[in-house]
Amino acid sequence: MNGPMNRRDCLKVLGLSGLATGLGSSRSQAQNVGESSGFQSSVLASHKVQSGWANATLVNGKVIQPQRELTILDSTDVLVVGGGPAGVVAAIAAQRAGANVTLVERYGHLGGLWTGGLVLLVLGHIVQGGKQVCQGIGEEIMGRLDKLDGAIIDRRSGVNPTVDAEAVKYVMVEMIEEAGVKTFLHCWGVDAIVNDNAVQGVVFESKSGRQAILAKIVIDATGDGDVFASAGAEFEHRSHNVGLVYRIGNLDRIDKDKAGDSPAPKRIGAHTPVPGVNWVNLRGPEVDGLDVATLTRMEMSHRKYIWSHIQKTRQTPGYEQVYLMETAPQLGVRITRVLQGLSTVSLDDLKAGTKFPDVVGVGGSESGNHGPWQIPYGALVPTKVENVLAAGRCISAEIRMADLVRLIPNCFVTGHAAGAAAAVAVQDGRRPRDVDVAKVQKILTEQGAYLG
Amino acid sequence: MWPFAAGTNSLRWVPSLSPFVAASAAIAARAVPVAAGLEIIVGVAAMLRRRVFCRWVCPTGSCLEGANWLGCRLKRNPGRWPSMGRWIVLLTLGGTCLGYPFLLWLDPLALLAGVFTTFGLAAVFALTILWPGAWCGRICPLGAFQDLLHAGFAPVRSLFVAKRDGNAEAGLSRRVVLGAAVGAGSAGILCFAQRNDTPAIRPPNARTGPHFLGLCTRCGNCARVCPTGVIEHDVGGHGPASLLTPVLSFRNGYCREDCTRCTEVCPSGAIRLLRVQDKAHVRIGLPRVDEEICLLSDDRECSECARWCPYGAIRYVFSETLYCLTVQIDPQKCNGCGACEAACPTKPRKAIVVLPA
Ligand SMILES: Cc1cc2nc3c(=O)[nH]c(=O)nc-3n(C[C@H](O)[C@H](O)[C@H](O)COP(=O)(O)OP(=O)(O)OC[C@H]3O[C@@H](n4cnc5c(N)ncnc54)[C@H](O)[C@@H]3O)c2cc1C
Repeated sequence: MNGPMNRRDCLKVLGLSGLATGLGSSRSQAQNVGESSGFQSSVLASHKVQSGWANATLVNGKVIQPQRELTILDSTDVLVVGGGPAGVVAAIAAQRAGANVTLVERYGHLGGLWTGGLVLLVLGHIVQGGKQVCQGIGEEIMGRLDKLDGAIIDRRSGVNPTVDAEAVKYVMVEMIEEAGVKTFLHCWGVDAIVNDNAVQGVVFESKSGRQAILAKIVIDATGDGDVFASAGAEFEHRSHNVGLVYRIGNLDRIDKDKAGDSPAPKRIGAHTPVPGVNWVNLRGPEVDGLDVATLTRMEMSHRKYIWSHIQKTRQTPGYEQVYLMETAPQLGVRITRVLQGLSTVSLDDLKAGTKFPDVVGVGGSESGNHGPWQIPYGALVPTKVENVLAAGRCISAEIRMADLVRLIPNCFVTGHAAGAAAAVAVQDGRRPRDVDVAKVQKILTEQGAYLG
Repeated sequence: MWPFAAGTNSLRWVPSLSPFVAASAAIAARAVPVAAGLEIIVGVAAMLRRRVFCRWVCPTGSCLEGANWLGCRLKRNPGRWPSMGRWIVLLTLGGTCLGYPFLLWLDPLALLAGVFTTFGLAAVFALTILWPGAWCGRICPLGAFQDLLHAGFAPVRSLFVAKRDGNAEAGLSRRVVLGAAVGAGSAGILCFAQRNDTPAIRPPNARTGPHFLGLCTRCGNCARVCPTGVIEHDVGGHGPASLLTPVLSFRNGYCREDCTRCTEVCPSGAIRLLRVQDKAHVRIGLPRVDEEICLLSDDRECSECARWCPYGAIRYVFSETLYCLTVQIDPQKCNGCGACEAACPTKPRKAIVVLPA
C-alpha cells in the first residue's frame, strides 16, 4: 500500500473486511491480484489508495490545490489536443510528414461536432463557380466515406454532401491508425505546460487521474482554444448561438394522402444517408459557450423544446409516426475563444481576393456563393506564446469571418496546415513563427492540398 | 481625346454642355442648377451668334461630318424634312413643366453619352447618310433650342450687333404656347396614369418621385459608371413616365459604401452630388424580410445578410416563442444598399429584399 492511510480509507477497509468475514467467505481474499476470477470482473489491485494523491483543501474559505508531481503519460514531437475535423486532419498530416504525433480527445470518439454534434452537412468545400477548394486529407476522408455503404450522400460537384456520423467515426479511427498516430480518448486537456513563454506539453484529466504529455509543438484543435488560452496567448472571447442538433425518424412513413395540401411542418430538417431519417439543426440563442451554467441551461432548454416540437409535428396530419431518434451527445457550441494571431482572416481580404505569400489553404463558402479566400499561415500562430498552433474554428478570424472559418471543410484545411507546419517546426527545430513557410507549402502540396 | 477623354467625369461634362438639358432641368427642379456654368456660356453664345455651338463645339456634329460626306458622295438628297427640332424642344420643355421631359433623350449630347450610345448614335449616323443634314438642321433639339434662344434674344441683340437676320421668326410665340401646351398636357396625362405605379428604388441621393422623372435625361451615365452594375434602365416596371430611368436591382450586387460615381456623372442633377462620408446616411431603400422563406426560420446555418451588411445594421435575435433566430434590421444604421439582398442565398425568391423607402 502506497502512502499513509487516512481515517476514511481505514474505516472502508475495515468495513469491507468485516463484511467479508461476516459472510464467512474466504475465497475472494484468497484470489491473487491480477488472477482471473473466472467471473466477468477481476481485482486489479486491492486495498489500494490512489498514489501521489494530494487532495485540494479548504484554507480560510479558499480551495487550495497543493503542488504535486504528475505522471508523464507520453513524450512526443507533436501533440494534437482535440479530435474534431481539424485535430484529426492535423494529426494525420504531421505524422505523414515524418513527426511523431499524439492525439488526445476528451470524448470517446473522433469527429468533434461533425459526429458528436450531429452536424452532418458538410458545407463550404466549394467556391463560386463550383470549384472545390477543400482538397488534401479532408477530401481523402470524404473519398473513404464514398467507398462505404450508407456513409455519405450528395457527393456531386457543386453540392454539399451529408454524412453518417458513425461512418465518419469509423473512417477516422481507420485513418488515424493507418497513419500511426498514438491516440488517447477520454482525456480532457486542462492545462498547458509553459516554460519561458513556450509551451512544453499539456496536462490532462482522465479516469487515470491528472497526467502530462510533453511535446515539442502543441496543436490546439479543441475548437475552444483551451490550450492556447491556458498558455497565456491572446484571444477574443465571443458569444455565438448554442444549439442542440437531433435526428428524427420515420420520415418515409409520412402519409402523403393524409397530409394533403396542408403545408409541411417547419424544421423537419434535411436528409441523411439513413433512409427516413433527417438531421435537424438548431441555432439557439447567442450565449457564452464557455460558461458551464449556461451550457447546462442550454441543454435543458433545448431538450424541452425539441420534445415539444416533435410532439407538435406528430400532431400534423400524416406525420403521426415521426419520432425523435436521438439528440446529439455534444452540445452545439459554435464559437467561444478565437486566437489573436500574427495575421487575421478578414472579410475585406475575402472581398478583395487577397493573395498571401504565406498561404496555407483556401477556404470555401456555405453554398459556393463567394469567391475563394486564402488562409495565411499567420492566422494559426499566436502573437505571444511559442510552440503552439491553432487549428479549426478557433483560428484568428474577424467576427464576420467566423461563420466561414468554422465550416467543416475549412477546419480540415486549417488542420492540415497546422499539422504540416508543426512537422516542419519539429524537423528544423524552429519556433512556429520562424518556420520556413515554403517548406510547409511544399508538404501541403505533396499531400494533395489546394493552395490557390 | 475629347469628348471621349478617360475618367468618369467626362461623361458628365458632355451632356452638361447642353443648354437644352439645363433648361429642362431648371424647369423640373424649379431652380437654376448651381453647376450650370457651362450651359449658360453655351446658351449666351447661342443668343449672340446663330448656332455657334453646332459649328464649333458639338461633338455629335463632328462625328456626323463623316456621314454627311458619305451621304453627299452617294449623291443623296437632303430630302424635304419638316423642321421638327423646335417641336421636340417645346414638347419636351412643356412636358417637363408637369413632370415628364418627353424627348430630352434626343439631345445630341445626351445621345452621345447616353443609353443609346451605340444604338441611338448609329441611327443618327444612318439618318445622316441617307439624308445629309437632316438631323443637324431639322431634328436636333439642341440646334433648334439654340435657334429659339437666338430668335428670342433678337431684340436685345440688335442693341449691340448690327441687324443682319432680318425679321425674327414670325409666329414664334404662338408655337411656343402651342408646343409647350401639348407637352404639358400629355405629360399631365402621363403623370396621372403614373400615380398608382409601384415606386422604384433610385440611385443614392436621387431626387424623389415626379421631381426625379422630370430631371432625368435618361442618358444612362449613372448605369454606365456603376462598378457593381446595380443600376438598370427601367423597361416598364414602374409606369410609362419612368421608362428608361435608372432603377436599382440588387439581385447580383449592391450599392457600394465607398462609391458615389453615379452622383458625380448625372448631368441634370436628378442624382445630386454625394460625398462618400455622407453615403451611410442617405437612404436608398429599406429591406424587408420574408420570415416564411428565410433560412433562419428553418434553423439553417446561414449568416449571409449580416456578414455582408457594410453598416453592421443586421443582427440575428433569438425569439423564445418561435425558438429560432430572426433577422433584425436597425433602420438607423441601414441605408438600403442591398448588400443583404445580393447575398441572400434563397432561390428563386430572396428572403430579404430592399423596398423603396
Ligand atoms: C449546431 C451546429 C451546426 C453546424 N452546422 C454546420 C454545417 O451544417 N456545416 C458545416 O460545415 N459546419 C457546421 N457547423 C460547424 C462545424 O461543425 C464546426 O465548426 C466544426 O466541426 C469545428 O471543427 P473543429 O475541429 O475546429 O472543432 P470541434 O468539431 O469542436 O472539435 C473539437 C474537438 O476537441 C475536443 N476537445 C475540446 N476541448 C478539449 C479539451 N480540453 N481536451 C481534449 N479534447 C477537447 C472536442 O471534444 C472535439 O472532439 C455547425 C456547428 C454547430 C455547433
